[in-house]
Amino acid sequence: MKQDTKPDINWKAKKVLVVDDFFNFRLTLKNMMRALGILYLDDAANGEEAVRKMAVRRYDIILCDYNLGPGKSGQQVLEEGRYKGHISAATVFIMVTAENTEEMILGAAEYQPDDYLMKPFAKEILEKRIRNILTKKGNLRNIEKAIDDGDYDRACGICDDLAAKNTGNLTEILKLKGEALLKKGDYGKAADFYDGILARGNVVWALLGRGRADLLSGRYAEAQATFEQMIAQNSRLMAAYDYLAQTLVKMRRPQEAQDILMKAAAISPRALLRRKNLGRLAYDNEDFDTARTSFQSVVEQGKHSCLKSPEDYTRLAKTLTRQNAPQEGLQVLAGARKEFPDDESTRLHVSVAESYIYTRMNRTEDAARALAGAEHSAARLSSDLPDALALDLAEAYIMAGETEKGSAIAKSIVSRRHDDEETLDGVRRLFSQAGLVAEGDKLIETTRNEIIRLNNEGVAMAREGRLDEAIAYFEEAAARLPENKIINANAAHVIMLRAKEGGGDAKDLEKARSYLDAVRRIDETYGDWAMLMAMYRELSAQEE
Amino acid sequence: MDYSMNFSDILASTLHDTKNSLGVLFNNLETIIAHCREQNCAGHAEFYTLQYEIQRLNSSLIRLLSLYKAEKSQLAVNIDYHSIGDLLEDTAAAHEILLGSRGIRITTRCPDGLYWAFDRQLVGGVLDNVINNAFRYAQAGVTLAASVSNGYLALQVEDDGRGYPAAMLINEDGRPGLQTNVDFQTGSTGLGLYFALMVAGMHIHQEKKGFISICNGKERGGGVFSMYLP
Repeated sequence: MKQDTKPDINWKAKKVLVVDDFFNFRLTLKNMMRALGILYLDDAANGEEAVRKMAVRRYDIILCDYNLGPGKSGQQVLEEGRYKGHISAATVFIMVTAENTEEMILGAAEYQPDDYLMKPFAKEILEKRIRNILTKKGNLRNIEKAIDDGDYDRACGICDDLAAKNTGNLTEILKLKGEALLKKGDYGKAADFYDGILARGNVVWALLGRGRADLLSGRYAEAQATFEQMIAQNSRLMAAYDYLAQTLVKMRRPQEAQDILMKAAAISPRALLRRKNLGRLAYDNEDFDTARTSFQSVVEQGKHSCLKSPEDYTRLAKTLTRQNAPQEGLQVLAGARKEFPDDESTRLHVSVAESYIYTRMNRTEDAARALAGAEHSAARLSSDLPDALALDLAEAYIMAGETEKGSAIAKSIVSRRHDDEETLDGVRRLFSQAGLVAEGDKLIETTRNEIIRLNNEGVAMAREGRLDEAIAYFEEAAARLPENKIINANAAHVIMLRAKEGGGDAKDLEKARSYLDAVRRIDETYGDWAMLMAMYRELSAQEE
Repeated sequence: MDYSMNFSDILASTLHDTKNSLGVLFNNLETIIAHCREQNCAGHAEFYTLQYEIQRLNSSLIRLLSLYKAEKSQLAVNIDYHSIGDLLEDTAAAHEILLGSRGIRITTRCPDGLYWAFDRQLVGGVLDNVINNAFRYAQAGVTLAASVSNGYLALQVEDDGRGYPAAMLINEDGRPGLQTNVDFQTGSTGLGLYFALMVAGMHIHQEKKGFISICNGKERGGGVFSMYLP
C-alpha cells in the first residue's frame, strides 16, 4: 500500500465543536475526537445552540449532523456560520449524514461543507478525512487568495503548477481554475477548458461551467441546450434548473423561467433562494397563487435562516393584496415588524408596502401617513436604495397619486440601469399598473437618450484626444451615476488611455481599478470587462 | 389534512433512524473491543463478527435505497472527477480493522496520479459489498487494484479464497461480452451482483458502457471481481 505521508497535526491546539441531536452519537463523536488527542471539545444538541457557540468561539473543526430535528438543519448551520463569518476558509466543516443528502448528491447548495461523512464510520476514517482537508486547505489557499485579489491570471498559473505536481486534489484545483477563467471574463478559454474535462466524462461541474460560459457570453440558446440536456439526464440536478431559469429570463421568456423553477421547487422544496426567485417571477407574471405559496414558504423557512429579509414579507403582503385579501397582507406586515430589528431599513420596507396596500383599500389617509413615514426613513438611510426597494417606493408614490415623486425615483433607476432590460421591464410594469403606459415609455425613452448622449459626448472628447477633459467629464458623471456600468467602464477606460500615453499620476491606476470593480459589481457579464482588465494589468505591470 | 405519505420518504426516514442506531452500535462495539483488548480477555475477536454484520447490514440498506430509487427512476449518476488512489485507500481503510481481525491483510495497487470520472458513492457501494464478501472467503489477503485498459478504468477486488462458483463467472476475458444469463437468485449474492451490474451499466461515456467481470485466478489465485468504467 502506498505509504501515507502524515504531516504533523497539532491536535492538542485544535478547538472542536460536535453538533448532533442524538445524545449517544454526540458522545461517540466526542470519544473519537478525544482519542485523536483533542483537548478542547464543545458540543451542541441543535442548530441554534451550535450557532450561538460558534459566535463566541472560533472552532478549527466542526462536525455537524445534517438532520438536527426541528429548527435549523445542518445545512442552515453551515450557511449561517459562513454568512456571519463564524466559519472561515480555514475552518474544517464536515457534514455528518445518515444517508446521501440531496445537497450532497446535487452539490446544489450555495454553501458546501468541506466533506460529507456517512454514518457509521470508524475513528480512522474521520482522522483521515480531517487530515486530507487540512492538507488541501493548505495548497488551495494561494489560489483562493489570487481569485480574491482579482488576479485571475495568477490564479490560473498556480492551478497549472499544482495540477502538474500531482498533489492529490486535482479536482478542486480544476474547479477553481474554471471559476477563475469565468471570473476573468475569458469565456472562450473557459469553454475550451471545460470541454477538455468533458472529453473524459460527463462531469457535472464541468457541464455547469460550460453552460455558464455560454450564459455569461450571451450565447443563450447554447446555454439553454446544455442545461436542458443536464436536466434530461438527471432530473434532480437543481443547479441546472437555476441556471436554465436565469438563461430564460435573459432571453425574456419569464413564463418558461417560472415553469422551470416550479419544477425545481416541486423536487427540492427547501431551497430558500430559489423559492424567492420563483415568487418574484410569479408575481411579475401575475401568477399570484404561485407567488403566494412561494413567499409563504420563504417566510416560514426563513424563520430559522440567516437568508430571511423584510422583502419576503412585503412581497407576500402585496401578493395577498392582489388576491383581494389586503387585511391578511397587513397582518403579514405586522409579522415582519416582530421578526426584524426595528431600524430604518425595516421601517422603510414595511411602510412602502403598507402605503401600497392602503391605497388599494382606498384608505387614502392611512396610505399618505405610511408614505410620509417611508419618505422619512428613506431620507435617513445614508446609502442609495437597492433597485427593488426603490422600484417599490416609486410604485407606492405613483399609486398614491404622487406621480411626480414616483417618476423622479423611476428616472434615477433608469439612469443607473439604462441598458438593463430586466430593470426597465420592472419600471414599465410599474407605470402600466397605474394605467400610465405611455408616460412610463416616455420616461424610459428620454432618460435613456439623455444617458446615451451624455456618454457619447465624453467618448467624443476622448476620440478627439482631449483626454484630460474626458476624464473630468466621466469622473463627474460617475459620481452622479455611480450605478451606471457604462459610465464607470468609460471612466476607467479614459483614465487608462491617458496613463498609456504617460500622463496622469500614480493614483490614477487605483482610481481606474475602483471604477472597474464597480462595473464588475453591477454586471458580472459586462462585455468589455476582459479587455479593460487586460489593459489595467499591462499598465500596473509597467508601473512595477 | 392529508395523511398520505410518500413511500420513499418513509423508506428514507426509517433508513435514517436505523443507520443512526447502527452507527452507535458500531462505535460502541469498537470501544468495547478496545477495552477488551487492553484487558486481554479471551475471545474478544468474536466481537468483530458483530461489527462485520453491522457493516453488512449498513451496505444492504444503502443498496436497498439505491435499488428502490432506480426502480422509481429517481436514481441518477453523479459523475465527478476523482483520485483513484484516494478511492482505494479510503475503501481499504474502512475495512482494514475488520479484515485484520480475521488475519486478512488488505492492500491497494494503483498507478500514481490516476484520476477518473465516475459516481463515487455508487461505485464505492459496490466495492464495499464485494469486500464484505471477501471477509467470508479470503484466507490471508485481499487486493484492491486499479488500472487502465482499452480506455476503461478497471477496478478489481482480488482475494485468495476458493474463488467464485462456475455459475457466477461473467466476462472472464475482461471484455464486455454478450449478456449472459445471469441468475439473480434471491439472497444477497444475487442482489449484490444485480446492483453491481446496474451501477456499471449506468456509467456511459462516448458510446461505451461500463460492465463487470467475475473470474478466478490472477495473482492471488482466488476470486477476482472487476468493474470496468468507460
